[in-house]
Amino acid sequence: MEYKAAVESYTGKVREVAIGKGPKALKIGGENALPFHFFDEGSIPNPPKFALQVFDSPPEGWAKWVLEPFQDVISDPVKWAKKCLDYGADAICLVLESTDPAGKNAPAEGAAQLVKKVADAVGAPLIVCGSKDDKKDAQVLSKVAEVCKGENLLLGPVVKENYEVIAKAAAENGHAIIAQSPLDINLMKELNIKLSKVFPADRVVIDPLSSALGYGMEYTFTIMERTKQTGVIFKDAQTQMPIIADVAGECWKTKEAKENKEQGILWEGMTAISLLLAGANLVVLRHPETLKLVRETIKQG
Amino acid sequence: MIIIGENIHIISKEVSTAVKERNAKVIQDLAIAQTKAGADYLDLNIGPARKNPEETVEWLVNTVQAVSDLPLSIDTLNPIAMEAGLKASKKRPLLNSASGRTDSKEKTLPLAKKYNTAVVLSVLTDKGCPPDVESRTESILDTVAYANELGIPNEDIWVDPIVLPVSADQTQVTADLEFIKILPDILPDIKSTVGLSNVSNGTPEELRGIINRTYLMMLKRNGLYSAIADPLDAELMALDQGKMPDIIELIHKAMDEEHIVLSSLSKKQRDYVKTAQILLGQTLYSHSWLED
Repeated sequence: MEYKAAVESYTGKVREVAIGKGPKALKIGGENALPFHFFDEGSIPNPPKFALQVFDSPPEGWAKWVLEPFQDVISDPVKWAKKCLDYGADAICLVLESTDPAGKNAPAEGAAQLVKKVADAVGAPLIVCGSKDDKKDAQVLSKVAEVCKGENLLLGPVVKENYEVIAKAAAENGHAIIAQSPLDINLMKELNIKLSKVFPADRVVIDPLSSALGYGMEYTFTIMERTKQTGVIFKDAQTQMPIIADVAGECWKTKEAKENKEQGILWEGMTAISLLLAGANLVVLRHPETLKLVRETIKQG
Repeated sequence: MIIIGENIHIISKEVSTAVKERNAKVIQDLAIAQTKAGADYLDLNIGPARKNPEETVEWLVNTVQAVSDLPLSIDTLNPIAMEAGLKASKKRPLLNSASGRTDSKEKTLPLAKKYNTAVVLSVLTDKGCPPDVESRTESILDTVAYANELGIPNEDIWVDPIVLPVSADQTQVTADLEFIKILPDILPDIKSTVGLSNVSNGTPEELRGIINRTYLMMLKRNGLYSAIADPLDAELMALDQGKMPDIIELIHKAMDEEHIVLSSLSKKQRDYVKTAQILLGQTLYSHSWLED
């Protein structure tokens, strides 16, 4: 008898979220099938997208093979961002590291002006990340939202402690947000339910927190996988948001990535590919060679 | 349903202070309130009772027996405290609990035979809590066989499948529903009980009640014999006495996966249906499940 592979069809659909404006604007999500299940019924209209990181101040403690591709631009976020686009990034992830109260504690206004400057100069979709201090991020990201009105940024991370303030500013000024929860699918849903009361659900991207290969990646994998399944198979409206995997920072701080270049790129690349298989729609990377490697790999696959 | 009143529990600050200070009034108030509310047994949870276990348990048992005629459930893992509690009980008590763990089988379970008591027997083994219905079944068959050999008949054994918090793992909650359903087929004449309130451990305090009540009604439909629960929850007792037939019917419909039009229901009915769907694993749990 001839073998016939089973074909699944799904009833749930991931919301499509648009980021940026103009010709370079990008869309993520929108699929009504599990990741890479091209053999099932349904469609995956938007292939995974990739952002490269840009820091608002010269980064410290990076291995020389991570600095290398950006050596001449690390003091100039605008040039750095343009370079990322030359390397093929779909979006820029601008990290406002210097606003960290435990570090330089730079004020919100300056950070917001910088974001505006980068947005105007590069015209590519921008993800704007705070310093992960929930109180300071509420100030900084709200200010960014206001100063960059209409740029359709993706702002984050937004957590349960600060979602009201940032969501309000983002809604009033036309931006999308990243809802971040601490590696827990139940808390993720909880935050999405709360957010949905003050913010449109089709402007939310889920960040379940990404860990690096060998450092807890399987937790992230499981949560992304379950999130996708719950949304696509079981039609849970509160998990039908696209997913962002910010793997850059976690990967490049591993011992393995700091030991040598090839290992570091593979580390970041394997983490990214694994999380793409789990369901990530947007991946934040640091090294341009990783971007190339991951793109080629999923094209072949 | 046999309700074993859970409120005299050492984890409660009020109770632990009262036990430490030998404040009979606090304990007796709790005993009287639960008795009046319709409890069938009173659970006396004394924890590990490391200091003067015998004297502590005797005091507690006598304090409660002075104001309530209900039989007691002596709730401790310490075999010395357990024996003292069983000895002091006037009515035939419930030994709460023994398990398939080696130390429990050797030291605690024989006390049920020695004092001719009923015994709560949990599915725990030396390896911990069995993760699914099959392994719970396997474990309990072994432990019940062991108890039978000691001369404890099935009708004196109250099997406890170990209830885990829905906020931690929904699959365990549904596994227990299934386990309770098949229990009479695998062990005829056996009884069953659950530590009900643990299902809502980790859930925001004000929302725990509806989870406990819904789960109790689901377990009851599947044949649960008794529960260690809060008799002071008036709605729980009303449901158990069949006083809210619309709610019970909706919970049963949810269990049968019948289509329920939520918009046609009252807020309260809707909340119970949503809670049942969480406990059945039909929707993903979050602390805001009622607002979903």
